[in-house]
Amino acid sequence: MTRTRIMLAAAGAAALAAGAADAQVTVLGWPGGPEETALRAVAELYNARPEVAPENRVELLFTSRDGFFDKLQVDLAAGSTAFDVNLLATYSIGRYAPFMEPVTLSDEAEAVFGETVLSTMQFDGQQYGVPTDLSLHFLYYRRDLIDALLADEAVRARYGDIAEEHLGERLEPKAPEDWTWDDFVANALYFSRSVNPDSPTRYGTVIQAKNLLFNMMVFHSWPRSYGADWLDEEGRVVVDSEAWRGALERAKLLFDLGATPPDSTAYEYAEANAAFASGQVAAMVQWNAAATELTEAQPDTAITAPPAGPEGRFTHIHGLGLGLNAAAPNREGALAFLEWLSTEEAALAYARAGGAPGLAPETAAKIADERPDLVQVGEFASTYGFVMRGGTSAEALSVYEAQAQEFTGYWAGTQDLDTAIANAEAAMTRLLQ
Amino acid sequence: MRSRAFENAVLASPLVLFLLAILGFPALLSLVYAVSETTFRTLTAPRFVGGANFAAVWADGAFWRAAWFSLRFGAITAVLQCALGLFLAVYLYPLIRRHGWMVAVLIVPMIVAPAMMGLMYRLVLHEFVGPVPHYLYLWFGWSPAFLSPANVFATVVAAETLQWTPFAFLLFLAAYGAIPQDLREAAMVDGTRPWRLFWRIELPLMMPTVFVALFVRFIDGFRVFDNIYTLVGAGPGGATTSLSIYIFETFLRRAEIGKAMAAAVLLFLASTLLFVAARALVLRGREGRG
Repeated sequence: MTRTRIMLAAAGAAALAAGAADAQVTVLGWPGGPEETALRAVAELYNARPEVAPENRVELLFTSRDGFFDKLQVDLAAGSTAFDVNLLATYSIGRYAPFMEPVTLSDEAEAVFGETVLSTMQFDGQQYGVPTDLSLHFLYYRRDLIDALLADEAVRARYGDIAEEHLGERLEPKAPEDWTWDDFVANALYFSRSVNPDSPTRYGTVIQAKNLLFNMMVFHSWPRSYGADWLDEEGRVVVDSEAWRGALERAKLLFDLGATPPDSTAYEYAEANAAFASGQVAAMVQWNAAATELTEAQPDTAITAPPAGPEGRFTHIHGLGLGLNAAAPNREGALAFLEWLSTEEAALAYARAGGAPGLAPETAAKIADERPDLVQVGEFASTYGFVMRGGTSAEALSVYEAQAQEFTGYWAGTQDLDTAIANAEAAMTRLLQ
Repeated sequence: MRSRAFENAVLASPLVLFLLAILGFPALLSLVYAVSETTFRTLTAPRFVGGANFAAVWADGAFWRAAWFSLRFGAITAVLQCALGLFLAVYLYPLIRRHGWMVAVLIVPMIVAPAMMGLMYRLVLHEFVGPVPHYLYLWFGWSPAFLSPANVFATVVAAETLQWTPFAFLLFLAAYGAIPQDLREAAMVDGTRPWRLFWRIELPLMMPTVFVALFVRFIDGFRVFDNIYTLVGAGPGGATTSLSIYIFETFLRRAEIGKAMAAAVLLFLASTLLFVAARALVLRGREGRG
C-alpha cells in the first residue's frame, strides 16, 4: 500500500514537473472576449513551431477583467515573477513602463502594423509592446429605422419640431454618415418615447455612463470633435473650455429627456450592448469590439464613424498589446515570443481567430474577405484616430478615473456643471502637472 | 500561580503569533504608509510626511460623503434586517419547530458570496434582459429604473437586506427558542393575550440578542464593499461610494496610497470607538437589570 502511494505521488510530481517544463514563457493576457480566444490560437501556433524549444513554449494565464489593471499594477510593482509577458494598454504604458523592459520587434513589424499603430505601444521613444488589438469607436445605428425616417415626409416635420424645441435649431433627418453631434442628439430624441410617444424604440440612444474610466474614453470622441484636449501646448490643463462644456451639456440633455435608459448611469459595455441588442435603441457610439455582437443581435445594424463636430470627426484610439515584465524569469524566451508575435504570420493568425489588430492597409487587404471590419478599423484609426495630450502619461488612468467621477455625477444630477468641471480641473492639474 | 500564568502564555503564544503575522504586520505597514508619501514605485521607500495624509482626508469632501453613505446604509439596513428577522423568527417559530429543514431554505441567501449577489442583481434588474423589469413592463407597461440615481440607494439597501436578514433571523430564532416554555404557559394561564405576551415578556427577554444583532449588522453594513461594487461601482459622482469603496478607489484607482491608508486608520479608530461605546451600553443595560 505504502509503495503504491509513493509511486502515485512520484508519478504526480513527475507530471507536474513535466507540465512546468513544457510551458516556460508565461503570458498574462486580457481575459474573456475575442482577445483571449485569439491569444490562445496564436499561442498554439507558436508552440507547434519546430524551432521553439520545450522550455520556451508559451503558457497562458488569465484572471478576470474586473480590476485587472489594478491587480497588474500591484503585481508589477512587487516584482512578480508569476508571468514573463503581460498585457499593456496605450493609456497605462506610462504607469507600467518603470516595471517593464523595451522589446525588439521583427523586421516586418512596421509593414504589418504601420507606424501609427506601433506608436500606441511606445513610451519615451521606446517600444514597450507588440500591438495586438486596436480599439476605437463606431457609430452603430439601425438602418431600417433611419431608412424609414428618411423616406417618410410626414415624420420629417415632427423630427424638425423636436430638434427646434430642444436644440434651438430646426434640423432635417440625414444619413448617419453625414451626422454632426447635433444630428445625433436630434435623432436620439426623435427615437425616444419620452419625447416622441410614436417612436418605434423606447430610447434613441444608450450612453454607458457608469463611473468607470473606459466609459470616459467612449465619451471623449464627442468633446474632441469640438476641439477639446486634456492639456494645451504649454502643458496647462484645459478642461474648463467651451468644447468640454458643450459636449457635456448635450449629453446631459439626453439623460434629462429620457433619450438614454435612466439607469444607464450604471451601465458599462455589456449592459449598453444588451440594450441595443434588445431592439429598443436606435443608435449608439460603442467600441469596435462590439461589431459582431451587435450586428448578430440586430441584423439591420449598420456601422459608420462617430458624428462630427465643428473641428471634424474623431474617434478615441488605443491599443492593447503584450510586453516584457522586467522581472521575467524567462526573459530570452519571452523576447523570442514577442518578436514572433510582431510578424505577419502571427498578426494574420490573431485576426483570423477573432482578434482585432490594427493592420496596415496592405496587410488588412490579405484578410479582407474574412475580416472586412479590420479594413474599416484601419481606415478609421488613420483618418479619425486621436490620443488626448497626456493620454499616455503615467497618470493617464487616474485622469480618466477623475473625469468619470465628476462627469457621471453631472449627468446623474448629483452636481452641477461648474462643480464637475472645477473638480475635474483640480484633479487633472494635480495628476498631470 | 506563576506556573499557570506561564502555561497560559505558552498556550496562547501560537495564536498571538498568528494574529501578529496576519493582522499585526499589515496594520503596522498601514500605519507607516498613512504617515508617508508613497507610490507604487516607492513602496519599499516611503517618505515621512507626518499628518499630511490625515489632513488631506479630513479636507476631502468625498471622504465625508462616503462616511455619510456608510452611516446611513449601515443604520438603515441593520434596522430593516433586524425588524424583518425578528418578525420571521417569531412568526415562523411554530412552523419551524415542526419542520426544521425550513431553516436551511431560509438562510440560503446568506450562503451566496456578496460579490456574486451584486452580479446577480446586475443581471436580474437590467431593463432589457432582467426578468424583474421585463415582467413589470409586460404586466404594467412600466418599470422603475432600479439603478437610476434616484433609486439606486433604495435598491442596494433592499439587496443587502434580502441577503442578510437570514443572519438576524437565525439569531432571533435561537433567542426565541431559548425562552423557557413555562413562562409562556404561566402568562397564558393568567389570560395574557399573544400580542401582550410578545411585547411584555418575550421581546424584553430577547433584547440582548436584538442589541447584538443590530450591532453586528450595522458594522457589516457600515463596511459594505463587495455587493455594491459589483452592482453599481462607486456610483455616478460617487453616489454609492461607501468608506470601503473610497479607500479602495483612493488606493488603487488614484494611486494615493498614503491617503488611502490614512482613511483606513480613521475608519479603524471610528469602528473601535463605536465598539467601545456599544459594549459600554450593553454592560450598563445588564447592570441596570441586575
